[in-house]
Amino acid sequence: MSAMLDTDPELVWHASDVKMVEVLDALNAVRAKFAKAEAGDSEHAHPRNCVMTLLAVVQGQGEERRAQRTCRIIGAQHPAQAIVIREEPGSRGHEVDAWIVTDVMRPATACAVECEIVTLHVPGAVADHIGALVDPFLVSGVPTYLWWAGTPPFGRAELHDALQVCDAMVFDSARFEEPYHAFRGLSRMITAEHRKLGLADLQWSRLRPWRETIAQFFTPYDRRAFLQGISELGIDYAGQGRGNRIAASFITGWMASALGWKLQRASAGAGGVVVAHYTSGRRAVEVNFRSVPKEHFANGELSAVRVAGASQGTTFRLTVQRDPDRQRDPSPDSAYRSLLASGGEDDAGIELTQRRAQWHRDVLHENRESLHHIATGQPPGESLPRHPVVLTRERRRADTARVLLTMIEIGDGAPLRHVQQIEPEEEGTLLLDLLATGTHDAVFNRSLLAGFELMRKM
Amino acid sequence: MKVEEAPNPLAEGLHDYRIADPAVMVIFGATGDLSGRKLLPAIYNLAKQRSLPAGFAVVGAAIDDISEDAFRKHASEKIHEFSRTQPIDDRVLESFLSSVSYVKVDFSRLDDFKSLGQKLQELDNNRHIPGNRIFYCATPPPTYQTIAQQLQAASLNTGPGFHRIVVEKPFGSDLNSARALTQTLQKAFPEDSVYRIDHYLGKETVQNILAFRFANSIFEPVWNANLIDSVQITVAEEIGIEQRGAYYERAGALRDIVQNHGLQLVALTAMEPPLAFEANAVRDEKVKVLRAIRPLEGDDLARSTVRGQYTKGWVLGEQVVGYREEKNVAPDSQTETFAAMRLFIDNWRWAGIPFYIRAGKRLPKRVTEIRIQFRRPPHLTFGREAMQEVDPNAITLRIQPEEGISLKFGAKVPSAGLRIRSVTMDFQYMTSFLVDAPEAYERLLLDCMIGDPTLFTRADEVEAAWNLIDPVEESWRSGAPPLGTYPSGSWGPTAAAELLQADGREWHRP
Repeated sequence: MSAMLDTDPELVWHASDVKMVEVLDALNAVRAKFAKAEAGDSEHAHPRNCVMTLLAVVQGQGEERRAQRTCRIIGAQHPAQAIVIREEPGSRGHEVDAWIVTDVMRPATACAVECEIVTLHVPGAVADHIGALVDPFLVSGVPTYLWWAGTPPFGRAELHDALQVCDAMVFDSARFEEPYHAFRGLSRMITAEHRKLGLADLQWSRLRPWRETIAQFFTPYDRRAFLQGISELGIDYAGQGRGNRIAASFITGWMASALGWKLQRASAGAGGVVVAHYTSGRRAVEVNFRSVPKEHFANGELSAVRVAGASQGTTFRLTVQRDPDRQRDPSPDSAYRSLLASGGEDDAGIELTQRRAQWHRDVLHENRESLHHIATGQPPGESLPRHPVVLTRERRRADTARVLLTMIEIGDGAPLRHVQQIEPEEEGTLLLDLLATGTHDAVFNRSLLAGFELMRKM
Repeated sequence: MKVEEAPNPLAEGLHDYRIADPAVMVIFGATGDLSGRKLLPAIYNLAKQRSLPAGFAVVGAAIDDISEDAFRKHASEKIHEFSRTQPIDDRVLESFLSSVSYVKVDFSRLDDFKSLGQKLQELDNNRHIPGNRIFYCATPPPTYQTIAQQLQAASLNTGPGFHRIVVEKPFGSDLNSARALTQTLQKAFPEDSVYRIDHYLGKETVQNILAFRFANSIFEPVWNANLIDSVQITVAEEIGIEQRGAYYERAGALRDIVQNHGLQLVALTAMEPPLAFEANAVRDEKVKVLRAIRPLEGDDLARSTVRGQYTKGWVLGEQVVGYREEKNVAPDSQTETFAAMRLFIDNWRWAGIPFYIRAGKRLPKRVTEIRIQFRRPPHLTFGREAMQEVDPNAITLRIQPEEGISLKFGAKVPSAGLRIRSVTMDFQYMTSFLVDAPEAYERLLLDCMIGDPTLFTRADEVEAAWNLIDPVEESWRSGAPPLGTYPSGSWGPTAAAELLQADGREWHRP
């Protein structure tokens, strides 16, 4: 579901250096004016619908515009009140600069709906107390969502304060600036914040098609036994360094926590290779990540997931790839590139690559300490790099319509090919889905914790 | 949900995750109108939403002697033309079409069904399908029995996996024919594998009646004879019979609308809360209501029912012809295009409360709504004069087109004195959820693939409905009450208004 915005919003009010009470008065006046205009000659004003308050906390102009656009997309589908708060660290005092823009939706068979977006530029001291700042604006009786457009300040008082007025916090772990540390903060937050608080990660939402496709394979009753026969999980991702392995860790954590896998050991080496060993009862499950640069993929994004195993004498292999039609980056840029690149997609090249990678993993695992020392310069025995190796450039790229290609091999049967569409992954669309389906997701929480356990052990 | 199966742990937390097992759907009448307009676009949209599993296949089966490629081209064209979602995603469509095949089937030839069986076996082997079959009869109702018999003769109704048959309404034309159809279908397929599809029940708006009633605690305590005065159900269409003269001459408004949509709305409005939103729990409660409706008999058939036929008139600013001037309609036709009746439900909750139903064509506008009219307050605290402009409280459930709910109540008019006037509190779905609802067929097809018959009609439900309608039909054939007429664009014959006036009530104008 993708929302289209074909008109510009109307700026209906702006003021600088004003108190919040003036902004509130202006907002009420805007609403009253709209209600009166829409009522026309009728004695009764049309009912005003609002399903949520969305608070977006941003830094810088880029994030502000992104948030405003996303708020409009949401408003186009769910009548909402949105407040975009941009901290101005350099400014002093307690006054704010404020803008109110409105979008009017006119459904074919219902009365018009006005959505307001209030943008506030607030001094640093005020931004530390977001709860007090916005409380009078919150629409009573409907949920308040806090969307932190960048990296939430995990563990800091200002975040804790903001969360007190919110029902849920939405964020995008793919945009975290220090992914590993932020991921750790997030995993701590799950147990620390009030129990009613929902947490929703847009990156987790982006993984939904992957989770669906993997779950789909095991849905037929006669394949349910395969779940107990999984022996390999392979994940390809773009970028290198532990910060880029969040999505891969999420998928692993999701499967491990759902299927009761216990993490035994894990190690990571240069070139983005990770090997982890789990046990499921008496059975061993090997998980491996590999970094496979792809031209159109942002760092951290998944390009393929492979699940393989055997049950009751029948082997199975599920391969899910994203956008297989696109070309690979032709220039190897890492030490392991020549070992990892395959010549084609979902064909013999992958098989060959897997065999090579298997050999490579064995060697890597045997020599993981010394390899780590060579790659990082850190003393042997230190398996956790002190500093995350991540890129701080834009971690999300504009999405186009994309597909997942699924290959299924069961026993001696011919491979079965299946193409599924992935919806555009705009923040607005993902947020809409999240807000429609709820933000209290126990599966997310447990997958996050299991995923972080893996990241910590790498 | 098939309760005997353990849930897939990987599916937990995937909201709205509804994935069927790999199966083959055979569409009989695949080159016909229903298939092209509704089924193929709906299946494509399910594929687009990732609701179809890898391996799922469609086999078109029809009398036309066309190649598989020609059928795929036909399917592609229909999807492009009728899909709810546009533009068409070429990669999804290509993948979907690769799962589509075609077999020429003459329903009278057993050999053709055996050839179909070979095709299904081939698909099972190539696409990891464990024998699951759905046979969709997108064909005229008289063919249902033949198809079921031929499937049985070719042994396509048994084997590993599930075997389901889907038939479209109308389910028979009276109680006897409905029973005969049920018997034939049940010889080949057990009742829980027979999916009687009435797309009306797949509409989000109809399902919302249950959500409104049973997801809220404030309405049920007042939802009974203690506070409710009457219930009015209106299913109005502004259109005429269009090109369906031949069909409509046989059906009429009573069979076409009241027997199914009308009584379904009565059942959903009046049913007790089911234990769960689960197939048998919901349908058990609906059947209880239908069986509790007091059968019309004797003089009541003339007193409590109204039939009418539209004559020429004006609808939405256009002059339109009368029913008897329509194509394929007899010049002296006695077929009703309007039906109204008063029913009573003889149970504790609804004792003595009339349910008025009216359905018709060429009425002023297209509207479907259920109006729950409450009793007046027992004492006029503010005096008769202050209350003279106050109507009784009412809850209106609008099913279409402006889906929503409104509550009517009295409020003080701002002035120095004390006058009360009726006001409404409106809730419109479109202003709270500005999203497109899925097509009813998408919902119902997926339900069938998953094996959830909650929104399909069960045999006893069909029979209970015919049981009520047959005496009315019989009475009308014998001329009681007489067929009235109404000008197109009006709210039916005058007898319809008189039906309520006799009870001291009047129809709500939607």
